Amino acid sequence: MKKLHFLEVEGNTKGFYTFLGLFSLISVIGILAAYYMEHNGHWVTGMNNQIIWGTPHVFAIFLIVAASGALNVASISSVFAKTPYKPLARLSGMLALALLSGGLMVLLLDLGRPDRLIVAMTKFNFVSIFTWNIFLYTGFMGIVGIYLWTMMDRPYNSLTRKAGMAAFIWRLILTTGTGSIFGFLIAREAYDSALLAPMFIIMSFSFGLAFFILVLMGLYKYTQRDLGDFIVNRLKNLLGVFVAAVLYFVLVYHVTNLYSADHRGITAFILTDGGIYTFLFWVVQIVLGSLVPLALLYAPTGKNRTMIGLASVLIIIGGMAQLYVIIIGGQAYPMHLFPGMEVSSSFYDGVVASYAPSLPEVLLGVGGFGVTLLLVTVAVAVLKFLPGSLADALTDPHSK
Amino acid sequence: MWLQLNIDFSFNSSFISKKSKEKSLHKLPLAVAGLALIASFNTVNASQSNLGPSITIQETSGEKCVLPSEEMRRQHPDILKHDRIKTLREGVRAKADGGVLDGSLKQCVNCHAIKDDNNKYVRIDNDQHFCVSCHQYAAVSIDCFQCHRDIPEGSGDFHALSNHKDINYNAVVPGTYSLTVQDMANIAPEVHSDDN
Amino acid sequence: MTINIENEKQQDAATKVETSRRNFIFGSVAAAGLTVAPAVMLYQTANARSLSDFSLKDGASSKVRLGMLVDTSKQVDWNKSVEACNKEHGLGNEKDSRDDQKTQYIRVVDVKNKGTGYTMSLPVMCQHCEQAPCIDVCPTGASMKRPDGIVLVDSHRCIGCRYCMMACPYKARSFVHEVLTDQTENTPRGKGCVESCNMCVNRIDKGQEPACVKASNGAIVFGDLNDPTSTISALLKEHGGKQIRADLKLNPGVYYQGI
Repeated sequence: MKKLHFLEVEGNTKGFYTFLGLFSLISVIGILAAYYMEHNGHWVTGMNNQIIWGTPHVFAIFLIVAASGALNVASISSVFAKTPYKPLARLSGMLALALLSGGLMVLLLDLGRPDRLIVAMTKFNFVSIFTWNIFLYTGFMGIVGIYLWTMMDRPYNSLTRKAGMAAFIWRLILTTGTGSIFGFLIAREAYDSALLAPMFIIMSFSFGLAFFILVLMGLYKYTQRDLGDFIVNRLKNLLGVFVAAVLYFVLVYHVTNLYSADHRGITAFILTDGGIYTFLFWVVQIVLGSLVPLALLYAPTGKNRTMIGLASVLIIIGGMAQLYVIIIGGQAYPMHLFPGMEVSSSFYDGVVASYAPSLPEVLLGVGGFGVTLLLVTVAVAVLKFLPGSLADALTDPHSK
Repeated sequence: MWLQLNIDFSFNSSFISKKSKEKSLHKLPLAVAGLALIASFNTVNASQSNLGPSITIQETSGEKCVLPSEEMRRQHPDILKHDRIKTLREGVRAKADGGVLDGSLKQCVNCHAIKDDNNKYVRIDNDQHFCVSCHQYAAVSIDCFQCHRDIPEGSGDFHALSNHKDINYNAVVPGTYSLTVQDMANIAPEVHSDDN
Repeated sequence: MTINIENEKQQDAATKVETSRRNFIFGSVAAAGLTVAPAVMLYQTANARSLSDFSLKDGASSKVRLGMLVDTSKQVDWNKSVEACNKEHGLGNEKDSRDDQKTQYIRVVDVKNKGTGYTMSLPVMCQHCEQAPCIDVCPTGASMKRPDGIVLVDSHRCIGCRYCMMACPYKARSFVHEVLTDQTENTPRGKGCVESCNMCVNRIDKGQEPACVKASNGAIVFGDLNDPTSTISALLKEHGGKQIRADLKLNPGVYYQGI
C-alpha cells in the first residue's frame, strides 16, 4: 500500500462555513429547546408519569450506541490488523467522540435538574448502572482521546495497537452498560431480558457504521477528495452483515419472549396490537430499516454511492424506530400489579400509556445530531483526520 | 468593603510612587491624578453611610439564634446542610442548639420571615424576602425555595416570635421526645386527633 | 444476636462521640471563632455517626422496620386516605401539568378477576421495599432508605433522571413537571425532582401516624414490623398478609389482607 497523506480540510471556504453555520444553527435550536423545557418544566413535553423517558432518550441512546459502533472501523484496523481500514481509523475515533458528545448533551439536557450535574459527578451510588455509565462515558472519552493521539503523533505510533485494544474492550463494556440500563429493570417485561446488552452491542455495530459511511462519503464529496470503491465496498459489505446480525438478535429476543408465558403480553403488544409501536416495528424497523437496506446493499446496484447512502440513512431511521419501540413501547405497555387481573386507577394502571412527542423534545434530539456534526466539521478542519485521497490506487493492495 | 478598598488604595499608592520614582518623572502628574481619583472614590465611599446590603430580616429579640448572629451569617449554609443530611437521611430530629431550636430551613423561615405593609408575608420572588435581601447583595443564588416553603404556614401570628425563650418548643415539636416507635404503633389513633 | 450486641456497643460509643461533637460545634466552635474548620467538622459528624438508636433524638432506628397493613376487606372509602395524603403533602397544586403528569403519592386501584368477576379496591402507595429497585438504580444516592425502612427521595441530590420511576414495579413515583409554589412546610416539592410517598416521615417523627392511616378508619394499621408485640405484627401473625408482587422478592413494607 502506498503512503497516505493526512490533510486538514480547508476551512476558509464557502462550503465549510455553510456547514459550520448549518450545524451550529441545529445545535443552538436544540439547546434553546432544552432551555424551554427546563424553564417551564417537563409539562411542555409529551412525557408524563407513565412514559418517563421520551424522544430525547431515543435520540440520546441512539447517538451513544452509534458512538461505540463508530469506533469499530478503528478497532478493525488496530486490533484485528486489517490494513485497508487503517486510513479510516482517525476519522472513526473522532466520530465516536463526536457522537458520544452529542448523545450525552441530549441526555443531560433532558434531566429534571441539569443544573445539578455536579451532584452526578460527586455523589455516586455504585450499585447503579447509571453511575457505571458515567465512568464508562468519561473513560471512553479519555481512552479514545489517547488512542487518537497515538495514531496522530508519530513518536507514539508504536502504542496505537495497545491503545486500540483498550478502546475496543472499553467500547464493548460501554455498550453492555448502555444496554443494561434497560436490561436490569425487572419490573418491566419489555426490558427484563439478558439479551438486551448483546443486542445493543450488535445494534451499535450497525448504527455506528451506517453513520460512519454517511459522514465519510459526505466529507469526501464536499471536499472533492477521491474516495475509491475498494474502501466503500468493504464498508458496505460489513454493514450488510451487521444489519443481518441485528435482525437475528431481534428475532431471538422476540421468540424467547414468546416462549415464556409471562412475556407473551409485551411481545404480542409489540408484534400485533401495539398500534404505532407495531407499525414502527414492522414497517420502519424491519422493512425500511433492515430488509430494504439489505436489498440495496447486496443488489447488483449495491456499489452505487447513492444506494449505499440511502441504505445507511434507512438503517439510521430504522435504528431510531427500533429504539423508539424498545424505550417508549416498552414503557407504554402497562406493568402488572396483579398478574392475570384487570386493574384500573386514576394513575393509569392497566392501560396502555399514551405519548405524543412534542416539538421541543424532537428539536433537542436533533440538536444532538447537530452537535455531533458540528464537532466533526470543526475537527476535520483543525486536525489531520482525513487522508488527502482514498483513491483505490492508494488503498487497494491489488490495484495496478 | 470599606476596609477592602483602603487596602487596595494603599497598595496602589505605593506601587505608583515607586514606579514613578524609578522610571520616569514625567508620569508624575498622571500618578497624582490617579491618586486623586482613587481618593475621590474613597471620599464617596466614606460619605455614604450605608453601602452594604439593605437586609430585611425579622430580628428576634431572644439571646441568640442557633448560634450568635455573627456566626449565623457565616455558618448558616453549613448548619442547614448538616441538619438536612441528619434529618432527612438519618431521621434525627434533635435540636440544633441542644434544646430549643431546629436547625431546619422551616425554623429559619418561621422566625425570620418578614411581612410587608399589608401585614402579609413577602414571598421568595420579592427582594424584601429575608433570604433574598442578603443573597442578592452577595450574588449567591440559592435554589432552596424551589422546593421549600418560603413563608410560614398558617395565620402567621403563631410564628411571629418575639422571644425564642418564651415558647416551649418541646411541647410543639419533638426534640427531647422519647416516645419509641413501638409505643407509637400501640397508641390508638384517637390520641393524635389534635395533630393537625 | 451477638453481632447485635456488639453493634450496640459501637453505637453507644459513636453516640457519645457524636454528642460531644455536636456540643462542640454548636457551642464552642462559635466562640473559638474557627472559620474554615466548621464546614469540615460538620461533614465529618454527618458521616461518622452510627445509626440505630431508639430515640428519634438520635435518629431513626435500624432495629425498627416501619410498615403498614391494609385490610382491603374493610368497607371504607379509600378516597378519604387519598384526600388526606394530598392535603398533608400539598399535592394537586399543579397548574399546567396534564392529568398524566400530576403527582400521586397514593392511588386507589380497582382490581377485577376476569375469570371469576370478583372485584376489589385497594390503596397503593410506595411499598417501602427492603430491596428497593429505586435505590439500586439511583445514580446519585438520592433514592434512599432511612434506617427504619422508609424509602425516601433526597431532593437535594435528585437530578431528575427518572431512572427510579423506570425501575419501580409499583409506579409509586411521580416527577414534578412544573414550577411549584406554596408548598406545605413539611413536604418540600419542586420542579425537576422525583417524589413519592414518604410514609409521612414528618408525622411519624412527631409520634403521629401517616395521614392515610389516620383517615382510613382503622383499615390501615401502621407500626413496627420488627417488633413482635406491635399491633401490626400481631395482626399479621394472626391473619396473615400479602405483599403486592411478592414474586419480585423486594420484600415491601406494605402488607395487604384480602387480596
